[in-house]
Amino acid sequence: MKLGEKVAVESLEVELKTPTELRLAGTLSTPTAQAEFRRMLQDLHAQIVAAKTPAFSVDVQALRFVNSTAIRAFVDWISRAAHAGYTLAFKTSASVTWHRLSFSVLKSLAPSTVEILETHATPAGGGPAT
Amino acid sequence: MTRAAQAEQTLKLARKSAALADAQRFAEHALSYCTPECREAVTLAVCELGENLIKYGSGDELEAGTIGVSIEDDTVRVRATNRVSSEEDALRVRELVSQIERSGGAVRELYRARLQELFEHPELPRAQLGLLRMAFEGGFRLTCSYERSELQIVAERTCAGPA
Repeated sequence: MKLGEKVAVESLEVELKTPTELRLAGTLSTPTAQAEFRRMLQDLHAQIVAAKTPAFSVDVQALRFVNSTAIRAFVDWISRAAHAGYTLAFKTSASVTWHRLSFSVLKSLAPSTVEILETHATPAGGGPAT
Repeated sequence: MTRAAQAEQTLKLARKSAALADAQRFAEHALSYCTPECREAVTLAVCELGENLIKYGSGDELEAGTIGVSIEDDTVRVRATNRVSSEEDALRVRELVSQIERSGGAVRELYRARLQELFEHPELPRAQLGLLRMAFEGGFRLTCSYERSELQIVAERTCAGPA
């Protein structure tokens, strides 16, 4: 992924804000967006490993809705990060139900790999929040 | 139309690439007067059930199945019906719904156990998280029936009231 480039896949927005921070926004539910999202995460993992980045952040505060395929993609990424030895810090929003519930479970899969940074501000952006 | 008993609104889910986007829009508008939390839960349920209809429904039909949303008193109901292509899939769904029902308040543990399986076995072909998320994140009670190749899943939850 290119630094600073915003990629839109249907209603999903992806931006590599810094070499160590990815921002996700919008919604992710269609097969096209799901497939592209999984491919982007695989590429990003390869970049992180190649750069020997020890810690990477993922800002999902404005990611309002995802289906189960996206949850599976996060599980796979956490698994790859744990094996490769870098950490993932997810910036989540307390006002989004699926952030509050699912990220705590995701952290429990690999507590030394995953960190959750929960904010209480209402994120910008429309769409349903689950 | 009163809130006490709103007739079921039904979406016939076409087998096409935009079907899930259609399902999401349908869910967002089906209960426009409910609380945001309830609308969010219904959107989750409609999208997860819609995806299942497309993935596991009988492949020889243009229509993947139907999803209905209705409300009666303080209960919102999402109902998905389709013909399945594999009896094995249908029985697996029925067993999972039964497990969720038996788990009572421990559905978080079931969800966590499934994520752990996927974490340890990334090669597993199916996530099978949709129904678990509906129960865990959406707070739905699930029931399931399977007769003559037709699978029906009903998800119900309390809706606290209008927004």
